Amino acid sequence: MDLENYTNVNIFKKVYEKREVSSIHNVVEQPHHLLKDNTQHAKGGFNPYVNNQGTTVAIAGKDFVLVAADTRISQGFNILSRDYSRTTKLTDQCVITSGGMVADIETLHKLLIAKVKTYQRQFKKTPTVESLAQLLGNTLYGRRFMPYYAFNLLCGIDQNGQGSVYGYDAIGSWDKLTYGVQGSGSELGAPILDNQFVGHNYLVKTLPDDVSVVEDTGKDIINSIAERDIYTGDQVEIVIVDKNGIRVKREPIRRD
Amino acid sequence: MWMGSKEHYDRGVNTFSPEGRIYQIEYAIEAIKFGSTAIGIRTNEGVVLGVEKKLPSKLMEPAKSEKLVEIDRHCGCAMSGIVGDARILVDHARVEAQNHRFNYAEAMSIEQITEAVSDLAINFGEGYEGTKRKPMARPYGVALLIAGVDDNGPQLYQTDPSGTFLQWQARAIGSGGDTAMTYIKESYHSNMTLAEAEKLVMQTLKSVMEEKIQSDNVEISIVRTDTKRLETRTQEYVNNIISTLA
Repeated sequence: MDLENYTNVNIFKKVYEKREVSSIHNVVEQPHHLLKDNTQHAKGGFNPYVNNQGTTVAIAGKDFVLVAADTRISQGFNILSRDYSRTTKLTDQCVITSGGMVADIETLHKLLIAKVKTYQRQFKKTPTVESLAQLLGNTLYGRRFMPYYAFNLLCGIDQNGQGSVYGYDAIGSWDKLTYGVQGSGSELGAPILDNQFVGHNYLVKTLPDDVSVVEDTGKDIINSIAERDIYTGDQVEIVIVDKNGIRVKREPIRRD
Repeated sequence: MWMGSKEHYDRGVNTFSPEGRIYQIEYAIEAIKFGSTAIGIRTNEGVVLGVEKKLPSKLMEPAKSEKLVEIDRHCGCAMSGIVGDARILVDHARVEAQNHRFNYAEAMSIEQITEAVSDLAINFGEGYEGTKRKPMARPYGVALLIAGVDDNGPQLYQTDPSGTFLQWQARAIGSGGDTAMTYIKESYHSNMTLAEAEKLVMQTLKSVMEEKIQSDNVEISIVRTDTKRLETRTQEYVNNIISTLA
């Protein structure tokens, strides 16, 4: 055995020194015009991650929560689908909506549905939104070193009947929000939401109480993003969760 | 002819007798009856657990909370039988309760905690070949009273070595268990206050204990419905109740 490495402290040293420059480019997708070949990367590694883009917005109200999302899936400059629903019902009081890679989103949503069913059978009750928030955080962190390429918003009615939105990053860091936006249009959507709703920096977080106003604003935000972001468009899908359950509506928006 | 004699069917823990009984489980249930008395009473205001602490010698230090322990903030446990076995079950219940908090950010329901204990309690025998961990070689010789408050309000459960668990309004286990049950049956009513229940627990303990009841040989804990927190009563508090007993 190599005496230098006797303590095992530096067992990764050789691997570390041999490593090529940065690793971030292996994981995060490059801008489209720089992307050569997704399956066989220039440096020789395989990159399993693709960003299928799309935008989703969630806004919590006094006794409801509203999700507005587009339905476009892209890969590079190609549109793969114009009517993909990125929002999934988990319980009668809770939905999850995600941006990122469709394959991972689909898998994650299916996994959560299974976890909810297991919970219901084991504990003879439906999980609360607070429980699901923790569960989703743990599920994402469980894949810390090969994350789901999914950026999620968990939306539902909490135990006090209030709307709540939980925002996540890909590895399970999460926070309770009053509104959130994820996906390719998040940079465009965030300032509009900050302007229209009461958020992070307010001590008293007064939630909107009129569903129809919030619905119109949600639609407008997705529509405005679709004007500038080429990856957002085709349809707005509106999902409203309140004490009566979940309603889904769709409206066409620009398709170019 | 030895057939039909129970001697041969009580050797293995996995062997049924021709009458369909597993003697080792029945013997384990007998072991509980050697244990000191433990009582639980459920009221709308909360649940009370009380235990007798036997002090075989004057020289022994009265140990604190040996037979009345916390499983989680909202759930306590009283035991009767082989205390060493109970510790294995309680440790398991504590881990399950904390895991539930970690996974779901909520308190585990009392029924689920009880079920987790019972799942471990029936998992005895020789185990499977090739599996790393051997289970308990014999049934656990202990019964637990598991009490607490969850979304469904105050609850009291009892587990036994066969892995059965039952929900009770009031229950006594251990050496004075049967006598205590008759005693409690006379005085229990469903709209008791917590203070009345505490007094009934003490009164019952007094009537079934061999030694004179004192603040250092009994212990009581409660979980209130409004706070959902397990509280252990102080010796002064216990003394005050003792002084009011008939």
